[in-house]
Amino acid sequence: MRFVAFAFKNLFRRPVRTGLTVLAIALAVAVAVSLIGFNIGYRRSIDTSIDKLGFQVMIMAKGCPYEAATMMLKGGTGLVYLPASTYDQVRSDPDISAITPIFVGVAEKEASGISGESGSSFAIISGIEVQSFIDMKPWMTMSEGAGYKGGRWFGDDSTGEVVLGFEVAEYEQRKVGDAYFVTITPYGQVEPVMTELKVVGVLERTGTQDDGTVFMPIKEARRLFNRPSELTIVGFKLKNFSGLALRQFEQRWAKLPEVQVVGLQQVKTTLVSLVETAQTMIASVAVVAIIVAVIGVINSILMSVFERTGEIGIMKAIGATRSDIFQIIWLETMAICLGGGVAGVLLALSGTSLVEKAIQSLIDFGTKGTMVAITPEVMLVALLGSAVAGCFAGLYPAWRAASMRPVEAIREGE
Amino acid sequence: MNNKNPGSDKAIVVARGLKKHYRRGIETIKALDGVDLEIHAGEMVSILGPSGSGKTTLINLLSCLDAPDAGELQIDGRSVAGLAEEDLVKVRQGILGYVFQKFHLLPTLTVAENVELPLMFLQRPVDREKTLGVLRMVDLENRAGHLPRELSGGQMQRVAIARALIADSKLIIADEPTGNLDKGNGEAVFALFRRLVLEKNLAIIVTTHNLALGALADRVITLEDGRIIDERVNRLV
Repeated sequence: MRFVAFAFKNLFRRPVRTGLTVLAIALAVAVAVSLIGFNIGYRRSIDTSIDKLGFQVMIMAKGCPYEAATMMLKGGTGLVYLPASTYDQVRSDPDISAITPIFVGVAEKEASGISGESGSSFAIISGIEVQSFIDMKPWMTMSEGAGYKGGRWFGDDSTGEVVLGFEVAEYEQRKVGDAYFVTITPYGQVEPVMTELKVVGVLERTGTQDDGTVFMPIKEARRLFNRPSELTIVGFKLKNFSGLALRQFEQRWAKLPEVQVVGLQQVKTTLVSLVETAQTMIASVAVVAIIVAVIGVINSILMSVFERTGEIGIMKAIGATRSDIFQIIWLETMAICLGGGVAGVLLALSGTSLVEKAIQSLIDFGTKGTMVAITPEVMLVALLGSAVAGCFAGLYPAWRAASMRPVEAIREGE
Repeated sequence: MNNKNPGSDKAIVVARGLKKHYRRGIETIKALDGVDLEIHAGEMVSILGPSGSGKTTLINLLSCLDAPDAGELQIDGRSVAGLAEEDLVKVRQGILGYVFQKFHLLPTLTVAENVELPLMFLQRPVDREKTLGVLRMVDLENRAGHLPRELSGGQMQRVAIARALIADSKLIIADEPTGNLDKGNGEAVFALFRRLVLEKNLAIIVTTHNLALGALADRVITLEDGRIIDERVNRLV
């Protein structure tokens, strides 16, 4: 038998106490792993979602640019519009390599009842100019499975035709050729108007907000929302994108009234920084939880050492050195911390979807993608962290045990 | 006082003028007050005496669990007076086997694992055949896989004796080994000690309150107030 096996056997003497101590470590590790995973996953998700907007710069009506960007990423209400003439003015800029105008509106949608919901929900309607839009997003392709065959984009002048994002089609159970009803309250009117549209195509999943969007020709969208000469944003790609090029572009077009130029890299950074404050606070709680758990481990191992005073004396009497006793107690602490680390990582992995739901309900700057990414590196860091915690937590109890004088230890134990 | 057993040739324990004093408040307790002793291979010595006579203190010094305040003590030819705790461990390792009154087996380990425990500290490989051989010597071979709680008191004490034997110790020190046993089991333990002395040429020192059992040893030493007041040789080795 080796010290490791011996230490393990000792831990099973008081299984409830050992279990509770491991659980405390596991919970602290799970919180820490979920937070680190969220940090990584959220950044990745923001990166992917913004990259998949397809453009590097956008022009929009003055207001909070991040709210607008979030709306583009996640959907939402409270839209503001800019004059359509802006598009005509800006498209002549020599630095632009691609440009697309987008009109976004929110329609009321009768609940399908599929999930047993009642009442109404919202549908995000995106009016686009097909060719310039798909030039920006070449990855957007039509679904080809059963019921989706023959899917196509609508023409820019067509009416009553829509292309559904993957999730909209899935949720509404719509196929190519089906009818799709939306209720829109046109600008300046009070009464909503229900419109029947025909699904002419369903898109493949992109993992972005586009999956939850209903696309229609920009002219048709403007007509339905009674905003014939307005846009929500104009998206651009610059020929040589750089911080300087963006700055120069901004300066050129900042002169337009009621318009702002927003670089998506800047949006990315700001969205991440918005949640960093919350992350810092939660991370502080996780650190406190870990410290409390480590103190719990020290307490538990110390209790075990005091309970086994006589036994430690006996081990010394039959040949154990101070170093032997130190190693045994230290290994017990390590085993508890590493066991807690492994359990914590498993707990975090199994609770990822719950954590995601909780975060998405709490934080408005969310994205559509996976928000908690527990990578192998995160797991490794968690296990190493647990081992380091075990190293430190074990020092004092192990030293106490190793310092016991055999005669006194045996006498105390009797 | 002549403590030398004339029939033996090799002294495992040599003690000269051993003293151990404790302070209790302003009072000094002379737990041992000049003990001279020689114990040889192939000899079983019992130490008798009332409570407080110094038996346990003597045993603790002879087993290198404690250091004397004065006097000379040699274990297997090595002087141990003044050694630090870590050096005393090295003297104990592989020479000394210890048997306790309350057995002190580890409850989570099987009988075989308890017996093999000293080997872990000596960093010697475990040889299960040898373990079973030692258990056979104490008639517990068929209990190797049992846990201590599944054994009787007498059996537990025999496991403790097997644990003291596994590292090929030359000297076994047993502190009141029959204190928690009934008469029959107590006699069985002493019979086992006697057999081990004869078969393995061990030196065994055993403390007891039981005069009848003590008389089964080759030599009987009686302590009182930290001094040897009587020594009787029953059998020449």
